[in-house]
Amino acid sequence: MRTKTRISVVGGALLLQLAALTASAEENAAEKAVDAAKQYSGITLNSAEEAGLMAMLGINITGPEWKDLTGIGLNVTEIPFEELFPKQMLEHKAGSGAYDIMTIGPSWVADMVRNGALEPLDPYIEKYGVASEFDDIAPAFKDWMTFEGKTYALVVDGDVHLLYYRKDIFEDPENKEAFKAKYGYDLAPPQTWKAFGEVCRFITDKYAPDLYGAGLINTGYMHFFFSERFRTYGGKFFDPETMKATVNSQAGIDALTDMVNQLDCQPPGVQTWGFGESLSALNAGEIAMTISWPPIARWAQGINADEQALSWVPESQVIDKIGYALPPGGHPELASGIMLAVSPDSKNKDAAYLYIQWLHSKQESLKNVMRPLGLRDAFRISHYESPEYQALWPTAPDYLATLRQAGEQGYSDLAILETYKYWDSMGRAVVAAIGGKDPKQSLDDLAAEWDGLTEQIGLDRQKAAYLDWSSKPSAYRE
Amino acid sequence: MRRGGVPPPHSGGQSGDSVASAAVSAESASVQAGDTRLFKYSLIAPATFIMVLVAVFPLIYLIVVSFQRLSLSDDITSFSGFVNYARILSDARLWDAVFHTLFITILALPIELLLGMLLAYHFLDDRPLKRLFVALLIIPSVISPMVAGSMWRLMFDDRYGPINQIVSWFAGHRVSILWTIDIVWAYPAIVITDVWQWTPFMFIILLAALANVDREQLDAAAIDGASGWRTFWEVTLPAIRPVMMIALLIRGLDLVRLFDSVWQLTRGGPGSATETISIYAYIRGFQEFDTSYIAAVVVVLAILFSVGLVLVLKRMAIAR
Amino acid sequence: MSTWRRHAGWYAASAAIVVVFLFPVYWIFAVSLKTPREIFKFPPAWYPATPQFNNFLVLFRDGDVWSIWHSFVLASSSTLIAMVLGVMCAYSIVRFKTGGENLAIWIISQRLLPPIAIVFPIFLIYSKLGLTDTYQGLILLYTAFALPYVIWLMRGYIQEVPLALEESALVDGASRWQILWFVVIPVTRNGIFATAVFAFIFSWNEFLFALVLTRTEVITFPVQVSQYFGAQSTFWAKISAMSVLGTLPIFFAVAAFQRYLVRGITLGAVKG
Repeated sequence: MRTKTRISVVGGALLLQLAALTASAEENAAEKAVDAAKQYSGITLNSAEEAGLMAMLGINITGPEWKDLTGIGLNVTEIPFEELFPKQMLEHKAGSGAYDIMTIGPSWVADMVRNGALEPLDPYIEKYGVASEFDDIAPAFKDWMTFEGKTYALVVDGDVHLLYYRKDIFEDPENKEAFKAKYGYDLAPPQTWKAFGEVCRFITDKYAPDLYGAGLINTGYMHFFFSERFRTYGGKFFDPETMKATVNSQAGIDALTDMVNQLDCQPPGVQTWGFGESLSALNAGEIAMTISWPPIARWAQGINADEQALSWVPESQVIDKIGYALPPGGHPELASGIMLAVSPDSKNKDAAYLYIQWLHSKQESLKNVMRPLGLRDAFRISHYESPEYQALWPTAPDYLATLRQAGEQGYSDLAILETYKYWDSMGRAVVAAIGGKDPKQSLDDLAAEWDGLTEQIGLDRQKAAYLDWSSKPSAYRE
Repeated sequence: MRRGGVPPPHSGGQSGDSVASAAVSAESASVQAGDTRLFKYSLIAPATFIMVLVAVFPLIYLIVVSFQRLSLSDDITSFSGFVNYARILSDARLWDAVFHTLFITILALPIELLLGMLLAYHFLDDRPLKRLFVALLIIPSVISPMVAGSMWRLMFDDRYGPINQIVSWFAGHRVSILWTIDIVWAYPAIVITDVWQWTPFMFIILLAALANVDREQLDAAAIDGASGWRTFWEVTLPAIRPVMMIALLIRGLDLVRLFDSVWQLTRGGPGSATETISIYAYIRGFQEFDTSYIAAVVVVLAILFSVGLVLVLKRMAIAR
Repeated sequence: MSTWRRHAGWYAASAAIVVVFLFPVYWIFAVSLKTPREIFKFPPAWYPATPQFNNFLVLFRDGDVWSIWHSFVLASSSTLIAMVLGVMCAYSIVRFKTGGENLAIWIISQRLLPPIAIVFPIFLIYSKLGLTDTYQGLILLYTAFALPYVIWLMRGYIQEVPLALEESALVDGASRWQILWFVVIPVTRNGIFATAVFAFIFSWNEFLFALVLTRTEVITFPVQVSQYFGAQSTFWAKISAMSVLGTLPIFFAVAAFQRYLVRGITLGAVKG
């Protein structure tokens, strides 16, 4: 054989070997988990998951698959989102180990660790894990998993808010002309909340009742949406010196007032909409804009839609018509994000950990974040760059790029001591305002409630926690 | 089964042997008394034991916890004085909850009474199929209040529920009332649900009570030429009053501890506008884990409640 | 002629009343038979165009149906125990005035105690004892709740038993236990049925304590239904199907025992 050919053959072989090695090194975590778990075959793990679409992944797909691979059964208990924290904490206090696998959001880690409700995972990672798996987790989500140096949970879902809009409406030349004539700037995905209101009004005026300018979520996760807007308007949660709540600052009042006023251009009854309703409306072609979590893109595109489980969602009428952008203000809320943890009261900690590792692995997580079912979203660099994902639909690369950008520029959720209580009261204040209460009054009451909470918890402790959180760039992105 | 002692002599027996038989019966009576005592106490023992176990111990524990400082961030079990009780005075949300609860009670109770009375009169006379109608009408009252709340939550839904549709028919145009999240409409929604569920309960009680009113008195009043209204006021009402008071008491107490249906309809929302006492306590205790504080709240409420109850019972006993 | 009209009018009014009161029940049944697409139709469909049992099948497939079984076990066990102990206790109170006024009043006050007062300490105590999410724990609790009610009602029924019956049995040489078992209980049979049905329904429908104390092992059907209300979307198909499954037993009870139920509600008030 000629030398050149020999070199290229050897070179090619080497490359193949390297590829094989890398490939097998990358598959390791999932396969390692499966192999190690087989010894526990026959038991059943209990998993606490967010009720509804999220839980369907475990019930319909990953649970049965896991059982086939390892012989371990999975029993999913569905808990509504707002009860995830209380119910799992309650469970820990009762100590009966009803859940082996827990679903948690990053803001709860501090409280749960302090109450001993999470099993430290480092020993398990050492025993069963693959170190390289942690290298490509997007920076936005990476430090969610550790607290005070120890690992307590594995990320399985990277949440950000995106603005979804109807490209066909926005790119229609007639609309563009009319809008520019009326408002003086180009029709485009709004970059400020003022623009949002104007675009929404314009579209509604022209197309209602067939199409409305926007359909936002108004129940269920309102503290996320308000946190986002509030900070975009320049608001800060607390005065760093006195630890007094400043949610009722002018920024807050403006943000909440606008939020309520902008309901005008949205479909009637939008005040009762949750995640499901806004998704259905977008799919049915009834709204031109919404701000929501990443799965919307996949649903609107009709990707991998499992017939039976999703039969209540109208078939997408808007395939290939949806554009992706950062929400007004450019700093979307990293709204919650889901991690899986192991309960310290579990009787099957190893098996529970192995299931989590399997889901978290590069191989398995890629599959899951491509599905609409389960609401798991990209959280690894390898997800954003995956050729498979990018090929899923024509504008998928745009989507992934926007997600990545959103992660890098997004606001992290407030995370201090007993965050859940602050969240809960904020959510209630916002819903009250949407239901008719005066915004200023709602926020004044909220601030008073927050101050009361801070006092109970201990001002100094809370101040320390707040300063710790707010010192990170993702807090206020200034 | 053990045979109990010597059978007593026949009552109304001859006086001849009375002294002897009295002696015999006295002796057997004391034997009897001994057996009876064991018997009667052993009858009440298990039931009382269980009730004490479940009622008394928890209350004691509650009082102990109310003097500690258990919460999400703290685990202080040393005696901490009245700090939790002091908080109660400044807890606006708690007093709001008390107000909400009383508001619902004052609205629902009279409506249920009135409607129940009307229904009772309607179904008073015996007719064919009356039994069927009455049996069907019991159904709302035996459904789980939680399921009732869920049912109405769906009925009140703006998009998928029939209520707004029906209202729209009457109004002639599309009406979009947001029953469960609009501050103005949330209370009507709650009251409607409760009235729907418990009017049958009142109805059945009043039906029986009305049926028991002395026929003779009614006839006498008719002969005297009294109008229907007067007859009701002066004959019927006093006759059914004791039963009515009991029914109102039972329903009133149920309304004060309202949880299930409101929880399903609004979860205490919008905001905290429809929080009842039970809902507030649940949220504080089981979602926010302010264990010691809620213990204090519950102790105070229980005391107020018992005092109130004793007063009401005394008045009713007097009225009788 | 006019009486005929009056009668027709009465029947029409009665039918209307029944329709109004049973409409929500109809609705939930209808929803449980609708396809998910139909449920989310706007404006809402008044009846299922193609009734189907798929929503129920899903519950069976996912194992949610076990909650009905748990409810059944809890309700029947606690009712049984409460009836046995309660009848005994009521008899003692009526015949022998055991414990006098105080005991009677205390027992009645137990029924009137708001659950929220004891749900906390019960939770804390049960957690320490490992009784949460167990059959034993909840049966104990439900029995304790049913007892005051049972005693109160049975007291009324037992008071109606003519003393002469018992006395003649005594004369015939029957023991106290035999009197209770063979004389009193058969005579109050109707009252016992009524009371048992009530106690059963009450335990069956109980929500708050089950919400706090059951997780996965012993979850009851009301708690199961409440889990279908999510922040994302409300799964009306499952909610309605499970509600129907949980309400059907009650319907059968009402149908079978309606005479007793009516007497039961009435006597509960009259004899109070």
